Amino acid sequence: MKFIKIVLIFLLMSSCRKYDPIVVTPNDYHNAVDRVVQIMIHDIFSPPVASRIFVYPNIAAYEILAKQGGKYKSLSGQVSGLTAIPDPDDSKSINYELSALIAHLDLSRKLIFSEDQIVEYRDSLYNIWESENPEVFRNSKKYALKVSEYITAWMEKDNYIQTRTMSKYSIDMDDISRWQPTPPSYMDGIEPHWNKIRPLVLDSVSQFKPVPPPEFSLNENSRFYKELKEVYDTSNRITEAGDTSKEIEIAQFWDCNPYVSVTRGHLMFATKKITPGAHWIGITKIACKKSNFNYNETVFAYTKASIAMFDAFISCWDEKYRSNLVRPETLINLYFNDNWKPILQTPPFPEYTSGHSVVSGAASVILTDIFGDNFSFDDDTETPYGLPVRNFKSFYAASSEAAISRLYGGIHYRAAIENGLKQGKDLGRFIVKRLHMTNE
Amino acid sequence: MKLNSNYIIIAVALVLLGCNRKEDIVFKEIPDTETGITFVNQITETDDLSILDYLYFYNGGGVAIGDINNDGLPDIFFSGNQVKNKLYLNKGNFKFEDISDKAGIRGNSTWNTGAIMGDVNGDGFLDIYVCAVVGINGFGGYNELYINNGDETFTESATKYALDYASFSSSAAFLDYDLDGDLDIYLLNHAVHTQESFGHANLRYRRNYQTGDKLLRNDNGIFTDVSEQSGIFGGPNGYGLGLAISDFNQDGYPDIYVGNDFHEDDYYYINNGDGTFTDKLKMHFGHTTRFSMGNDVADINHDGLPDLLTLDMHAEDEKVLKSSEGDEDYQIQKLRLKQYGYYYQFVRNMMQVNQSNGNFKETALLSGIASTDWSWSALFGDFNQDGEQDIYISNGILKRPNDLDYINYVSNEQIVKKIEKTSLVDKQALSMMPSGKVNNYIFEGKGNLLFENKSTSWLNKNVPTVSNATAMGDLDNDGDLDLVVTNLNELPTILQNQTNNKATYLKLKFNYDKPNTFGVGTKVYAYNKGTIQFKELYTCRGFQASSEPMIHFGFKNAKTIDSIKIVWPNYTYQIEKNIATNQTLVLKPKNTKIFVNHTDNTKKLFQKVDNNLGINFHHEEDNYTDFIRQKLIPYQVSNKGPAVAVGDLNNDGKADIFFGGSKFKSSKIYLQQDSTYIAHKFFGIVKDSIKEDISAVISDFNNDKKNDLFIGTGGADFYNKAKPLQDSYYIQQDSTFVNHKLPDYYENASVVRPYDFDDDGDLDIFIGNYTVTNDFGKTPPSFLLVNTDGNFEIKDSKVFENIGMVTDAVWDDFDNDGIKDLIVVGEWMSPKFYKNNNGSFTEVVKTDNLNGLWQAIQPFDIDGDGDTDYLLGNWGLNTKFKASEKFPLQMYYADFDDNGKTETIVCVEKNKEYYPLLGLNELANQLLFLKKKYTTYKAFAGQPITAILENNMLEKAKILKVYNLSSGYLRNDNGDFKFIPFETELQLAPITSFLKFDFNKDNKEEVLVGGNYFGVAPFHGRFDAFSGALIKDANTLLLAAELGIDFSKKEVKNLNIIYIKNKPYVLVTMNNDDAEVYKISN
Repeated sequence: MKFIKIVLIFLLMSSCRKYDPIVVTPNDYHNAVDRVVQIMIHDIFSPPVASRIFVYPNIAAYEILAKQGGKYKSLSGQVSGLTAIPDPDDSKSINYELSALIAHLDLSRKLIFSEDQIVEYRDSLYNIWESENPEVFRNSKKYALKVSEYITAWMEKDNYIQTRTMSKYSIDMDDISRWQPTPPSYMDGIEPHWNKIRPLVLDSVSQFKPVPPPEFSLNENSRFYKELKEVYDTSNRITEAGDTSKEIEIAQFWDCNPYVSVTRGHLMFATKKITPGAHWIGITKIACKKSNFNYNETVFAYTKASIAMFDAFISCWDEKYRSNLVRPETLINLYFNDNWKPILQTPPFPEYTSGHSVVSGAASVILTDIFGDNFSFDDDTETPYGLPVRNFKSFYAASSEAAISRLYGGIHYRAAIENGLKQGKDLGRFIVKRLHMTNE
Repeated sequence: MKLNSNYIIIAVALVLLGCNRKEDIVFKEIPDTETGITFVNQITETDDLSILDYLYFYNGGGVAIGDINNDGLPDIFFSGNQVKNKLYLNKGNFKFEDISDKAGIRGNSTWNTGAIMGDVNGDGFLDIYVCAVVGINGFGGYNELYINNGDETFTESATKYALDYASFSSSAAFLDYDLDGDLDIYLLNHAVHTQESFGHANLRYRRNYQTGDKLLRNDNGIFTDVSEQSGIFGGPNGYGLGLAISDFNQDGYPDIYVGNDFHEDDYYYINNGDGTFTDKLKMHFGHTTRFSMGNDVADINHDGLPDLLTLDMHAEDEKVLKSSEGDEDYQIQKLRLKQYGYYYQFVRNMMQVNQSNGNFKETALLSGIASTDWSWSALFGDFNQDGEQDIYISNGILKRPNDLDYINYVSNEQIVKKIEKTSLVDKQALSMMPSGKVNNYIFEGKGNLLFENKSTSWLNKNVPTVSNATAMGDLDNDGDLDLVVTNLNELPTILQNQTNNKATYLKLKFNYDKPNTFGVGTKVYAYNKGTIQFKELYTCRGFQASSEPMIHFGFKNAKTIDSIKIVWPNYTYQIEKNIATNQTLVLKPKNTKIFVNHTDNTKKLFQKVDNNLGINFHHEEDNYTDFIRQKLIPYQVSNKGPAVAVGDLNNDGKADIFFGGSKFKSSKIYLQQDSTYIAHKFFGIVKDSIKEDISAVISDFNNDKKNDLFIGTGGADFYNKAKPLQDSYYIQQDSTFVNHKLPDYYENASVVRPYDFDDDGDLDIFIGNYTVTNDFGKTPPSFLLVNTDGNFEIKDSKVFENIGMVTDAVWDDFDNDGIKDLIVVGEWMSPKFYKNNNGSFTEVVKTDNLNGLWQAIQPFDIDGDGDTDYLLGNWGLNTKFKASEKFPLQMYYADFDDNGKTETIVCVEKNKEYYPLLGLNELANQLLFLKKKYTTYKAFAGQPITAILENNMLEKAKILKVYNLSSGYLRNDNGDFKFIPFETELQLAPITSFLKFDFNKDNKEEVLVGGNYFGVAPFHGRFDAFSGALIKDANTLLLAAELGIDFSKKEVKNLNIIYIKNKPYVLVTMNNDDAEVYKISN
């Protein structure tokens, strides 16, 4: 009996054991985002699809944090079709930061292909949290998954699934001004129906429709021809200058091509990098860290930036398949030099406007709004891919360089860059004006 | 009779034994311990040299068989890539002596490739030409010519003969192209630059010393490069791996076929006889291999014409197939052709069968030899001496660089790790590519263009190897063909033929006029019991190799054969009669006569009319591509036009012609004048250009003594209740045509067939409908339109609502009750018989379940027994589709992904499991869940459809089946019908059109047959091999070449008879091509 008593007392005591709260840091969130980026590289997602993989997990995390009723306001009613997420069963036993992170991971898992890679990562975190505080962990997780379900249901109405099975891009071989697949893989046009994806903040996908590209003409005096020639001449000039030329360095730094196919006879391989969106997600991280953003501020920054980029891709792709313009490589091979190769590999979609320019434009406006202008930073986002660190005086300086890099890379005409950057910045400013995410 | 139970036991035992009887092996591998052959072509990867630096790092060296010391025993020469060459003297009984050092042939080049034997200086001793790759990756040296000193030693003399090329050579061939009596050389070179963009096909005109092929004329012992003046391409785009010499067109001058890897077309150089060549590939071939590798030539069908097998790299094994880079996209292929000037190329072996009109028909899928994995060398030989050519194919690749997981996943992770290094793919990365070591293939020739895989039964062992160059010879002088197969990094495989005296042979060697002492280019026709065998002596065969300079025939059991005709290179010939078999004849020219080429001057039944009778109709198919919208559709359904109808449209008593237009293209009408036709526009008809016209009929529907026009329209692009899906009905009024109302129906028509089924004095129409736009696999309703005073109503009859995907129909009295009944054929269905009971219809079963991809039906008493049989055009057997009673072709049809749109997945059986024809990328493009289900290609490869689809999807899937793909006829057996397949020649492509007529005025009707179909993805290739034929009766078939027609490379859609001045002509209408008119002479 005595023994049993001791055991009972022990059990009683141990069940009342005090657990430390689970501390989730901004770094935990950064790491989760990084992890997803790595899987995205492995699985190979095109830039527009990648922007979708960034935005929904961030929104899920953000909405959970906004539920606390602090500085941040819910996006429900502010972005298309999103209504207030459900309340937690018991708000007291919940760690909102933890819930946000779990929801982020869970939505990310749904959006990438190689689930096992995220499950492995997630489970190792789960183990840690479970041991730190099982009850809080379980409650937070339960809520996170509930919100994840909720956000998923909303997400699935964005027409993504429907666009998967829509028709492929139809090549018009009789009209040379039309985009056609480019060397070396001659891939199909990517995401010809991306303009049917539901935008989050835009009133319509064509809201920031840029001016049309210069009229197609091979007349030497036409603006189009001159811009084509500019791509060719620039490429030749900087190639002659060699790999150390500033322009080549810039082109390669901003390549952000998720799938560069390399062919050596029958041997093929791919060099894969992050997408333009992922690069700006990386810059967001750098800025958060430099500004010592706390957890909620961090999630806020990611969320706002990824919303802008998501809409930017829709806006850009709307224009791409509207103007459906041929890439410089096709024309240069046909009319100038059949041996010419751009410094960067031409991505598989129409030329106008430049996706990197639009997205960089939009992201730079958002980040400037959050972190301020003349925010200088060292951009080491691309170092894992063998590229150097570049310093930028401001986000705008970075977006301007990202945009012009496409000319150096030989994959865009000037109009697509300049008009694209404007399109992105206009769109970014609209989002800044429209979204009210803080209670100040 | 009462059977003794012992007998029964014995009988059963015999049957069992019979079943288990192991087929005799044909080849026995002789180990190096016996042969003494220890040569190993070991390649060594270094930091600076791997497949990344040199794309043909795994192609292997060369091998040549020939008797270098004239002791009667063929010797073996091996060239090593990085190792020194070796020469083995044949000591008899499969014992060989390594005389390499003494012989002085070990070589000085860094990287040797092909090795070819020939008597260059005409001294009666075989010399050896060894090719080399020089000038990249630090490779030094030059192509070496070892002149035989006659004493088992050689003197390297390439410089003296001006053959010391320092370029990127893979192989060479000896031939006397100018018939001046000495041996010239075709030097096969390959490009090395990285394939990035297609580059225009015109690149081949840009001559490049290192990569361009060369024709080297022997000018008294000095070889002169005459490539440019003789019209040989020499561009930086030619990846020459295959080289075949043969007098393909049998004009006495040797022609050249060059197989090029990657997207450069193969070259088919026709020798013009004046020292020049013209590439006529596009004229004479329908399509070729894409990654062309080795090739070989032999007459496989006993017509005395050389046929050509060229190899590619299509795997049979599902695991390899589905984890390797697949076929080109439909649109990209179009781009490559249209914008870059290339030709149709597909990834699989091609068996190009020579027709006497100079054109080749491609039969590899039908022949059963299309997929032999990464294949290098093909050698034709009658290995079992049954009189049919067999094939040995060597294959394998050390590492599979086209493995999709490697390309997409593995390589990148490695590259990221090694990013600091300049050489991105290092050894470790290479080691992660899957191995491509596989078994070699051996096929037995079965006649009728067919081959049977004997890879397991004909060899005593068949271990996975990486085998490249292969040569053939009678190493033990026992009369049968032995093989020497080189392997990368391993001992060569020496195969001794075990046929021995199980069948008879005849070997021929030549003692020809100097300097061509071995008689290279000599042709031999062996005649026995009405069968021809034809061979031509060229040593360069297979891949980077040369075989023993002799000719070998097998004759089964024949002790003697009727005769042989030898046509010497100088175009004289002699005939030797009553030749005993089982001997080696050494022949020299004797009692020769001038050979007059058997030019076929006989008047042909059909002759193309020069002016086409003024019918300059060109059908232009519109740009719509079904694969863009219905990504998984097995074939296009949008290109079935044009409609053609013949009849008097202007009341002058002469038959005019209506040609339908494709979508957005106007139809055309030609009115018959005195002796020609002139195009005429009836405004009421021409204005309706939106519709796609598929089937049309000219007849007087409203009984006003003036013909009207009814058109079934379709095109499979318009959908739902789109107006253009309504058929067209024009009534003739005065001198114009006026649109007349039809009932409300919107379908893709395939056939309109008029008949007064209710016997009320006006013409009613059966409308067969083909497909539901955007919902392939669904059955559209077909209709019977009842005529009342020229107005049509749909007959209220359920019987036609669910016929199937109808393609053709015919009104014919199949039950001999004096009233015409209706027979309907279509795809994924059996021919259906509808009995006409005085105006009402009941379906009656008249055949077994004959689900096919039926295209056409024609009543015809083919067996001459007085009743009507029915000819049926089907998909044919020259296809990746496979169907049998036991293992039908299956098409899964459902809205698998619940997106409101249906999909189809076509599966074929392999080893009792069903696999989708399409790969993961294609399927996942439509069925998104597969991207998550299979995150590697390896996981997907080898998965049957039942594992790929989830259970709930399998449950809701409707499975459409095809049991039979053969074209054939329904033999009328007292009113029931039994299906009899046509012979092989009629199975080469889909048969789409029949025309019954007494063409030869023998008071008996014959049936002209047309076909072919191109609406398939590059995965399937192009069904272009059927040149047309005339069926006289069940046993008599006349082929295109003897008829004077040529429908190959054309999609025949309609065959019609038109009369001008009471003379009949045949009008042939093609999809997307010019209409043709043939005169019938008799």
